[in-house]
Amino acid sequence: MNNYSFVKGWASCRRSSLLFLLVVCWTPMLSAQKINVKGTVSDATASLPGVTITIKNQPQTGTISDSKGHYQLLASPMDTLVVSFVGFKTAYIPIQGRSIIPIYLVYDTTNLQEVRVNAGYYSVKEKERTGSIARITAKDMETQPVTNVLATMQGRMAGVNITQETGVPGGGFNIQIRGINSLRADGNEPLYIIDGVPYASQVLSYSQISTNMPGDGSPLNSINPDDIQSIEVLKDADATAIYGSRGANGVVLISTKKGKQGKTQFAVNASKGVGQVTQTMQLMNTEQYLAMRRKAFANDGITQIPDYEYDVNGTWDSTRYTDWQKELIGGTAEITGVQTSVSGGNEQTQFLLSGTYHSETTVFPGDFIYKKAAFHSNINHESENKKFKLNFSANYTHQDNDQPWTDFTLTAMSLAPNAPALYDAQGKLNWENNTWDNPLANLEGKFKSKTGDMVANSLLSYQLFKNLELKSSFGYTNLHYKESRTTPSTLNNPAYNITSKNSSILVNNTNRQSWIIEPQINWKKEFGKSNVDVLLGGTFLNQDSDRFIIKGKGFTSNSLIYDLASASTITVINNQETAYKYQAFFGRINWNWQDKYILNATGRRDGSSRFGPGKQFATFGAIGGAWIFSKEQFVKNNAAFLSFGKLRASYGTTGNDQIGDYQFMNTYSSSGSSYQSVVGLQPSRLFNPDYGWETNTKLELALETGFLQDRIFFTWAWYNNKSSNQLVGIPLPATTGFSSLQANLDATVQNTGVEVTLRTSNIHTPQFTWTTNFNLSLPQNKLVSFPGLESSTYANQYVVGQSINIQKLYNNTGLNSQTGIYSFEDVNGDGLITYPDDSQAIRDFSPKYFGGLQNHLEYNGWQLDFLFQFVKQENYNWAYIAGLPGAFVNQSVYAADSWQQAGATSPYQKYSTGVNNDVVEAYYKYISSTAAVSDASFVRLKNIAISYDIPKQWIKELRGKIYVQGQNLLLFTPYKGADPEFRSAGYLPPLKVVTAGIQLNF
Amino acid sequence: MKTNNPIVRLHLFTNRFYNKKWILLLILLSCFLNSCDSFVEVGLPNSQLTSPAVFEDKATATAAMVDIYNKIRDNGLLTGTSSGISNQLGNYTDELVCYGSTASVSIDFYNNALVATNSNISAMWNSSYNQIYCANSVLEGVKNAVALPTADRDQLSGEALFVRGLLHFYLTNLFGDLPYITSTDYKQNSNPKRMPQTEVYDKIKTDLTQAIALLPEAYISTEKVRPNKYAAIALLARVDLYSENWAEAAANATQVINNTTLYQWTSLNKVFLKNSTTTIWQLMPAVKGKNTFEGETFIFTAGPPTLTALSPGLLSAFTAGDLRKSWWTKAVTNGTTTWYHAYKYNQYQNTTTSLEYSIVLRLAEQYLIRAEAKAHLNDVIGAAQDLNAVRNQAGLGATTATTTEELLEAILKERRLEFFTEFGHRFFDLKRTNKLDSTLSVVKLGWDAKDQLWPIPATELLVNSNLQPQNYGY
Repeated sequence: MNNYSFVKGWASCRRSSLLFLLVVCWTPMLSAQKINVKGTVSDATASLPGVTITIKNQPQTGTISDSKGHYQLLASPMDTLVVSFVGFKTAYIPIQGRSIIPIYLVYDTTNLQEVRVNAGYYSVKEKERTGSIARITAKDMETQPVTNVLATMQGRMAGVNITQETGVPGGGFNIQIRGINSLRADGNEPLYIIDGVPYASQVLSYSQISTNMPGDGSPLNSINPDDIQSIEVLKDADATAIYGSRGANGVVLISTKKGKQGKTQFAVNASKGVGQVTQTMQLMNTEQYLAMRRKAFANDGITQIPDYEYDVNGTWDSTRYTDWQKELIGGTAEITGVQTSVSGGNEQTQFLLSGTYHSETTVFPGDFIYKKAAFHSNINHESENKKFKLNFSANYTHQDNDQPWTDFTLTAMSLAPNAPALYDAQGKLNWENNTWDNPLANLEGKFKSKTGDMVANSLLSYQLFKNLELKSSFGYTNLHYKESRTTPSTLNNPAYNITSKNSSILVNNTNRQSWIIEPQINWKKEFGKSNVDVLLGGTFLNQDSDRFIIKGKGFTSNSLIYDLASASTITVINNQETAYKYQAFFGRINWNWQDKYILNATGRRDGSSRFGPGKQFATFGAIGGAWIFSKEQFVKNNAAFLSFGKLRASYGTTGNDQIGDYQFMNTYSSSGSSYQSVVGLQPSRLFNPDYGWETNTKLELALETGFLQDRIFFTWAWYNNKSSNQLVGIPLPATTGFSSLQANLDATVQNTGVEVTLRTSNIHTPQFTWTTNFNLSLPQNKLVSFPGLESSTYANQYVVGQSINIQKLYNNTGLNSQTGIYSFEDVNGDGLITYPDDSQAIRDFSPKYFGGLQNHLEYNGWQLDFLFQFVKQENYNWAYIAGLPGAFVNQSVYAADSWQQAGATSPYQKYSTGVNNDVVEAYYKYISSTAAVSDASFVRLKNIAISYDIPKQWIKELRGKIYVQGQNLLLFTPYKGADPEFRSAGYLPPLKVVTAGIQLNF
Repeated sequence: MKTNNPIVRLHLFTNRFYNKKWILLLILLSCFLNSCDSFVEVGLPNSQLTSPAVFEDKATATAAMVDIYNKIRDNGLLTGTSSGISNQLGNYTDELVCYGSTASVSIDFYNNALVATNSNISAMWNSSYNQIYCANSVLEGVKNAVALPTADRDQLSGEALFVRGLLHFYLTNLFGDLPYITSTDYKQNSNPKRMPQTEVYDKIKTDLTQAIALLPEAYISTEKVRPNKYAAIALLARVDLYSENWAEAAANATQVINNTTLYQWTSLNKVFLKNSTTTIWQLMPAVKGKNTFEGETFIFTAGPPTLTALSPGLLSAFTAGDLRKSWWTKAVTNGTTTWYHAYKYNQYQNTTTSLEYSIVLRLAEQYLIRAEAKAHLNDVIGAAQDLNAVRNQAGLGATTATTTEELLEAILKERRLEFFTEFGHRFFDLKRTNKLDSTLSVVKLGWDAKDQLWPIPATELLVNSNLQPQNYGY
């Protein structure tokens, strides 16, 4: 409606302008004369006070419309008026000699409050939202040179904690939305939905094959961040209850880019960059290392150094020095990315096609590369009578990952600094007379994986009656995953004469398909001042997967290693088919009274094939409400500075069905042992047909406020989630035949916390814009109750009243200055340090708080974005992965400060080469003690991007920009080790990446 | 069109629904709401076998049964590894001397210093009950399997009952009163009470009698690796002996002894080979070429011994000329000291084809059972005859014992020399004849009265308080 009025205004201007132009040309004197221009500014329904009207190129001359929207200023007839107001598109109006110019402003739909947020089955305006939904858009993602979609979300969303597991391409990220809910490690994944199609996030890799990564990689690498338009994370019950049994850990909605109406547009984006490891450990040099070793031998009373201690007994050159971290993980990864897209369409039909190619080499030595090619297509169609709508999108990704079979990080940290040269004079691998295992031999063992992933969805809707819309979505995914890891005989020193008869390969073929149909009915009606929106729908989902893992051993030649038919022994390790079916009915009723009071009720009745007969169905629901108190008269009168104020609350239940398939069945599986050449079958587990869902109740209270026309926007949210009916292994006496039973336990885990976000539009002029976004999350996790904890297998893992992310450790009390050996607290007072009684000190590995500070600046075609991410946490320190100080393994420089003689004090105990039992036992206790955990908080310049819009003057038909982007460039941390962001220690840290590129639109 | 006429109004109302669109909507809704709850039922997975499927087919049902033998052979009480009772009860009594380090689990057995937290005992308890669960699972599965022929069902049921009796027998002799588990229902089995030993014995006998009825005389498979009727009878004879039912013991032993087609004496050096004719039931190794765990556990080739050696007491108990000392023990010397190890099984490494299997039940025991039973029944001549049969095999002359007491003493001594390092016979014999304290307190420093029973694992008592009280002294 606003477009129309604006166009009308233009049309009338056009007619008069021709006339006036004639007059103006004939009266050059007149053009220098200033005239009085006045009028009313409105948005076609009401007049707008406070609107800024200036003259183009003369920003100092201007005025502001008054309370009735009237304005008046002096300008020359040839000038152009620039009209700007927050929430509306800036308008440029040539005066063309007119003295009365009514100005109509158009809503700027990128106004954040008016943006329609995708809440899954429905969309809701940001200001009317009753649930907790965090959102990032393509604008936030296109400044980041990353390949995994979870990496784009780091530091940007309150309540969402994402940790990178490894810097190896193809590796995974761990995500926690408002904490960990389930006691089972694999029960904490959120639900991922791409364009309405659920995307299973269970790992496809076999842990024995993806040995170069902790956590076995991530299927989310299949999603191409360049094709994503927005990501919404649903956090509270109001938003997630409509997803019922799958929403307990939050829901991540990914919407891909859609076609836009207008001229057919082409876009090309090409970039090239480099990456290196963010931070490595500070290790000893040769001098320090040899001094440590010699002292260790002296401490052990060994004068005759054994002939296998090559580093000190003279076999190896004692002056040689190699920075092994630089040699093995210090390489530079080359990153290339190309994306092209074409989009266009008219009022009825719009389309978008895009193709992306991305490649990344590794920081390891050797030629290894990760390649990803993605194709994305989207078609929207609306019939002429606007009753029928069709939305179709299809994405296909292909990934090819070629990596060494092992991560070199731990080797790089432990090799002696005077270890021999990697290559000999002839250029072959140097084995230094069989005194060491050359690490580059590991390059012979390769990890290869290929993934082909297709996600397609079509949404059809038909407006049956004026208020009633029928729609249905049909989705399909198809994933093929193949990986292999080779262990060729060439990994070994050739002097041992190990032939290809010992070479082996592990191959994994896993496929996963699913289809989903979700029919829905949507009914909207206005009743006087209130709006009612009712949605009813159903879900039918079917997912099949099959897995085939096979080991081949014994080849006549290593070049045949990929041909399983040439293997002399073939063992099938796993051959499994699983089917998962899911069905649900859901509904939502939204009642909106005058845009001031909003009530939202959602519910879902779910059935899943993962639970036994009789326990397959459960009902979930939530109620959420919002009160936009800034619209109340008393607020408008007394607090005009408050442009927006909303109080919202929600309460509801969701469930968790991530328990694996067929667990309720009474099954037998192969025992692997033979009797009389018959492979034995044994009962798989204690049969429990009775188990059901983990339930999660979520409570949230939030305040959203905007000041100064939403230039300052502040939100504060408090949440309390309780997860009970936990599916755990309940300890049982052995007389039952097994020691535990997979059953629902009345254990309760609570996640509570506060999330704060602040968005400020610091400067907002046509020339210069500066906005800041800040988010902060303070989570707290607690195991509220666990009946029978002491007698269960979890007795040494959890403590009631503490977080579930804890470790129970020995309490290191320094060291005995006379003996130089670590001392520990004797908790039970029995004079001995034993497990588990003395291992009672608790360290919590969950972050205390985390967040991000993002800034966006625009000036004259230049754009600068930067994001600082901060996390306060504790994590294992360098001592945890270092070997015994004094043994044949390199140490951090800090280990040089060790106890030297009786009476000395030092943080680290006396060196030993491994023969002093007391020292060795104390070392093992030390790495399971409080001393192995330290402050791993950090502030990281997560992302910085500078881009410059190519001026229109350069090439007329072309628009575009050139840019430079950096990820993980700076790290500020007191942590004394490599990068403090990890879940498993000793793997490749994340990479810091810089890329430069150009984007062209034509 | 507005009207107050109710009939017209009704017609107008219903006319609205005649609209095609509404009909379409209703049809869609009905299809939609009709969707079945059965949608979420998934079929049986292809790669896993559900219990009913396992027992419908003979091959898979057999696989389920024989896997129990895998477990018995590899874990728990009857395994020949150093954690089984052959080794540990040898250490516990006066058969073996333990040379393991203080960290070795066997040291606690040798020193009679067992506690409720002993991990070896815990493992034995857990494995045994897991094996019992598997046996019960087979019994239940076979009972419900209609497709399986009766002969197969009987064979499998018989084997499962035999195993159930066998395992409970060893458990009760070690731990005393304990629950007798006859089903797989964890709700029943999660807090059972300790049953008095006499009741346990009754149940064992019932199981074995049933097994005898079901199992065929002929071995279902070659090499006697699966029990037949006579295996059950042989075990029942032993149970009768332990529970002092002398007549039944003698009768059952006679049944086995009289079947000379299947069981005959053979020379001592052939008794423990896999094709020995004195074997009643043995356990087959998992892989071709593998021999027994007992061989690996007891044999050492250079002194000092890595784990155990035969005790001097046992060695001096052999009389001169006893072939068992020459054939079934072997000396190893390092020049200054000589040790002996059990040499019943000669193989401690793999061979091209397996030569020895672990023998659980053998003929000599039946003779000694009958001898003892007859002695108690005052048939001294019959008793002496049976005793002498065993002595002759060992190259010894007839026994000089004439009275019942003398015979019983002679039989106990014979059992000591015949069954050393075989499944704890020594311990059980001393225990049932109430000679544990008198015999062992002399030679074992750590021995005291409570050691006649093992402690029930502490973790069990934590989870099932019905197993209280713990055995006296622990």
